[in-house]
Amino acid sequence: MSFDFDAGKYAIYLWPAFGISALAFAWMIASSLLTARRWRREAERLQAQLDAERAPETGA
Amino acid sequence: MDARHTFDFLTNPERFMAFSRWAAPWLGALSAVAGVAGLVLTFLVPEDYQQGDTVRMMFIHIPAASISLFIYLCLGGASFLGLVFRQALADLAAQACAPLGAIYTALALITGSLWGKPMWGTWWVWDARLTSVLVLLLFYLGYIALRGALEDEQKAARAAAILALVGLINLPIVKFSVDWWNTLHQGASTFMAAKGNGLPAIYAWPWGLMSLAYLGAFGALWLVRIRALVWRRRARALSLKLAESPR
Repeated sequence: MSFDFDAGKYAIYLWPAFGISALAFAWMIASSLLTARRWRREAERLQAQLDAERAPETGA
Repeated sequence: MDARHTFDFLTNPERFMAFSRWAAPWLGALSAVAGVAGLVLTFLVPEDYQQGDTVRMMFIHIPAASISLFIYLCLGGASFLGLVFRQALADLAAQACAPLGAIYTALALITGSLWGKPMWGTWWVWDARLTSVLVLLLFYLGYIALRGALEDEQKAARAAAILALVGLINLPIVKFSVDWWNTLHQGASTFMAAKGNGLPAIYAWPWGLMSLAYLGAFGALWLVRIRALVWRRRARALSLKLAESPR
């Protein structure tokens, strides 16, 4: 058994299908991770800001 | 731990965040390993005696199509829990899975079209299977559009959840369309395949591995997207607290 990457006359259908699928997964992974990171950082920044504002009130 | 407690466990945002923190990377790793093994087998198996090299399209088309149905089932289930039991986390879960479902469905349609042209001689036919999958995509897009269209988040969530529940009717139509009507699309060859119509073992392995990869990827990305929405909600709540706090 050996790898068969030669799709012959079907290459114009096969490779775009694999390429589009790869692009879609790359986009889903990047978009999900970047959005999660953005909101985590925003929540952490706001929490730190709130803690800093409350610190003088509590005398900490 | 019984089923009810498992359910309680996952509806608590703090516990969900702790669980998803390790579950998402593990699912991602499982998906990557299955994907690499599945792709290796995809290009190792011999071409089909009738379909030639286009048979390899099966290993990305069928997983995208079947997981797109599964994602809609998750969307419907989460919408039900959000609508009936007012579970905030379930609502976020529904919101998080809709874009993923739309992309999986679009992939099923695009790869199916690229497979159909050389095998059927046409990119598209309005047969029951293809049309019902297009309707599935429209339900996903409708859900996303509805959530974005209404400014009141609670109203948007309720309206979108009702739309998602209505769309559940389409799932058996997609699945059984090839049995109920005469379609150009072939009948089932994996789940519930008629005797003699099932995949040969040599093609079942790459199909199974790629299906596991697509399923694992959905699981990992779903958890990551729910986490993003939980943080977004926290950030908004903190913004309000900051705005209200005396300076």
